[in-house]
Amino acid sequence: MKNVILFLFAFIGVNTVFGQRDSVIVLQEVVLSDSKLQQFADGIRVTRLSDSVLQRNRGMLTDNLQYNTPIYFKQNGYGMVSSASFRGTSAQQTAVVWNGININSQLTGQTDFNTVMAQNLSEVSVRSGGGSTQYGTGAIGGSIHLNQNLTFGSPFENTFRIGYGSFDTSTIGYHSEWGTDKTSYSIGIGHFSSANDFKYLGTARRNENGAFTNQNLDIAIGQLLSKSNLIKVYHNTFFGNRDFSGTLTAPSDDNYRDLNTRSLVEWTNFNTNHVQRVKVAYLSERYRYYANKERDDFSFGKSGSFLLNYDYLYRYKKWKLNGIVEANTVNAEGSSIRKENRNRLAGILLISHTPSDKFSYGIDIRKDWVSDFESPFVFSMDVKYQPSKIYTVNLNASKNFRIPTFNDLYWEEAGAGGNLELLPETSLQGEIGQSLKGKNYSFSLNGFYISTSDLIQWRPDISGNWSPVNIKDVTQYGLELETEIRRKSGEHQWQWKNGYVYTKAIDNESRQQLIYVPFHKVTSNLAYTYKKWGSFVQGLYNGEVFTTTDNNQNIADYLVLNAGLTYSFPKKMGIVTETQLVVNNLLNENYQNVAFRPMPNRNIHLNLNFKF
Amino acid sequence: MRFKNVVSVIALSFLIGACDSGIKSLDPIFVGDYASGILVSNEGPFNNGTGTVSFIPDDLSSAENGIYKKVNNTDLGNVVQSIGFDENRAYVIANVSNTITVVDRSTFGKIAEISEGLNNPRYFLALEGKGYVTNWGDPNDITDDFVAMINLTTNTVEGTIPVDFGPEEIVSRQRTIYVAHQGGFGQNNKVSVIDGNTDEVSTTIEVGDVPKAMQLDAVGNLWVLSAGKPSFSGEETAGSLSKINTSTNQVESSIDFTTIEHPNHLGYDGANLYYTLDGAVYSIPTSATELPTEKAFDGVGTYAMTVRDGRLFTTDPKDFASNGSLSIYDLNTKEEVKTFELGIIPGGIYFN
Repeated sequence: MKNVILFLFAFIGVNTVFGQRDSVIVLQEVVLSDSKLQQFADGIRVTRLSDSVLQRNRGMLTDNLQYNTPIYFKQNGYGMVSSASFRGTSAQQTAVVWNGININSQLTGQTDFNTVMAQNLSEVSVRSGGGSTQYGTGAIGGSIHLNQNLTFGSPFENTFRIGYGSFDTSTIGYHSEWGTDKTSYSIGIGHFSSANDFKYLGTARRNENGAFTNQNLDIAIGQLLSKSNLIKVYHNTFFGNRDFSGTLTAPSDDNYRDLNTRSLVEWTNFNTNHVQRVKVAYLSERYRYYANKERDDFSFGKSGSFLLNYDYLYRYKKWKLNGIVEANTVNAEGSSIRKENRNRLAGILLISHTPSDKFSYGIDIRKDWVSDFESPFVFSMDVKYQPSKIYTVNLNASKNFRIPTFNDLYWEEAGAGGNLELLPETSLQGEIGQSLKGKNYSFSLNGFYISTSDLIQWRPDISGNWSPVNIKDVTQYGLELETEIRRKSGEHQWQWKNGYVYTKAIDNESRQQLIYVPFHKVTSNLAYTYKKWGSFVQGLYNGEVFTTTDNNQNIADYLVLNAGLTYSFPKKMGIVTETQLVVNNLLNENYQNVAFRPMPNRNIHLNLNFKF
Repeated sequence: MRFKNVVSVIALSFLIGACDSGIKSLDPIFVGDYASGILVSNEGPFNNGTGTVSFIPDDLSSAENGIYKKVNNTDLGNVVQSIGFDENRAYVIANVSNTITVVDRSTFGKIAEISEGLNNPRYFLALEGKGYVTNWGDPNDITDDFVAMINLTTNTVEGTIPVDFGPEEIVSRQRTIYVAHQGGFGQNNKVSVIDGNTDEVSTTIEVGDVPKAMQLDAVGNLWVLSAGKPSFSGEETAGSLSKINTSTNQVESSIDFTTIEHPNHLGYDGANLYYTLDGAVYSIPTSATELPTEKAFDGVGTYAMTVRDGRLFTTDPKDFASNGSLSIYDLNTKEEVKTFELGIIPGGIYFN
């Protein structure tokens, strides 16, 4: 969203501070919270979700991503625990990266996409394919990037959002940003709550015990200390309080609370041919699970992760070299996890070479040394070839990994226990893609192949105790197709984006499709604006998924359509007011995303935005 | 992460073969598609789904899965833990759903549903018009456990008997009820004795840790198989096989396994007891004073196990996320008779 603004003001800022073109490029780069997404991803597909796209779905990140990307999500009921399957991979094989730092849970190895609020972020990007060399564990199917980019020299700008709709759903958000030549800040708060007591279509029942309240705080501050030194501070706090809804066959009185914090301080020293960064970060997560919310008893888990990262980028003619050393110490404990500590040291080298305007490639290598097991050496190679302005071919191949989590290693409970002998999951993958991009259209087609060994799964041993084992080898392959058409005639503007993904995810032994991976997923977004009016229709088609490993049971395919209408009132007393009316599940489709957990019927929401 | 606690699976033949009154042989009133054959309860997936019941006719021609849904077009509920019987009725317990579905055992047509007054129900016993159902309550809470008493005419819970932690299997001899306390998500080492005349706990008998299965033998002894505390408990103990004299309600003798051996299930064919250990089935005469060293069967599924009419019945839940199977073996020849694909996690074997 802030792309244009960023460029514009980066220029202004730089002209006043530096007045030198090379530095402009450097500053553009250093204000990004994760410049590697641009700098070292030549042959990688990176898709950015624009602000207007994010505003169509006011809920959590699950809503934003499932309607706009090829990623398949499964939610244990609307708003409940949500996990991703990217290119047919497991929930732990999609990394979520916040301002360049992997924030997947140390306990579960995954991110619950219903605990991330994206409305106040300046950038949400989806990086397809393996990225372990840069983002570490879990970046196998792909990675989701949540970035807060700084804008220097931007005017004082405030946005207040309020919304109310079906099932007593309310959203409140406030975002403010301001930048001088030397200082930039951005702060956002968000609230999203719902009684979530929708009707189970075709029954007399409602979604009982599904209420939730989520709160979020985002802060980003940048301060130029001199013309070559920049300090950045980022923070995010998320608090979620959810009753976990039951199923068609079992009631529930569970409650779950998470509190996640992420803090990062980064010092950047830069000039035209080198950039060095020192990052210090602290991530914490804690949850409480109440098996019966009427009682005071709960189980809990928590972890703290301290990270120190030194990053040196050197530019020499058409070469970019980037060396990174990262030290990380993590401790975790819980009612069923004994207190343990893990230390990790990583060495990373990224090389990017652009021999000509048409051709560039990159090579990355990485090795982690982890205190409690052996982590593999990983690498990646990517190539971008652009024979003409509109046509691009990209290729990449990589080895990636997913390390066992604290739960996998140290779980202790009646009937279940961790396994200290676990190996990391490793994957080898390749991708080939091509894209056509013109002024009013784009088209891309990517084919991928992933082979993963030593997949970790919890299984009972011979005496019936559950424990994780490296039991499975799987293969995923498929095709991703995306198209976009834009049209403008006078005051009329059209945009139509479509995505289709075909995914085969095969258990190498049984030759069956993995559970909860649809063969087909289609997304479509049609937007139309006329003067102060705007409207959109979005559709999501999820194909049939299997719910048992022998593919004997399934959940039927479904189509969900949402539509919205917006109107911007003329500016009054310095305030621009925008209204948005959204109808979700327009067709009142009775569908399940996870078996026996019906999803919401048709629902309506009214949103107001005030910009001043 | 909520894993299905690994629960003992009943070798239910005691409900049929061991009641003193004896099960009635198939009366003319037992008429229906499922009047004569094997019933298997399938737990179903732990969180998002329903358990089912499979039926295999006496001629072992083929298995029919999901018979309750077929007849009634509705689901039994989450985690079908066990089935109990009384006369011509079957009581199907879904423990996460907190319901007991009452069906005609021959047609599997639904008669009633009991959903009030239960809290994590486990096993059912009928005694002279009254049902007794063990309930864990919160599986970590050692004080909220009870046996619910059900009026089998009105199908309502009419009272509760508070009992020790983690009541599991339940059997009766004459008017005395025995409840094994394996201990919910923890461990316990008791058998409660309930007087069926007063519906009060008359005494508790200490047995080995984690009593998982019980069998009454032909002369009225109660055999209790205890698994011992598992290694993750931090104080691993040996499994044991105890004989309780039901006249005195005292443990008469007990045979210990080694500390790292944790047996499960107990079947009885009139002369020998059968138990499972590490993927094998062992047989031991009731007169034995030592454990057998030789396996009767090896490499068989042991998620559920029972014996009847010269045959061994065992189930294999596979990966717990796909259809499991029931295998039938001849106890004499040790040959496999037949294997059937059933529902997800077949956990209880019963006979109609």
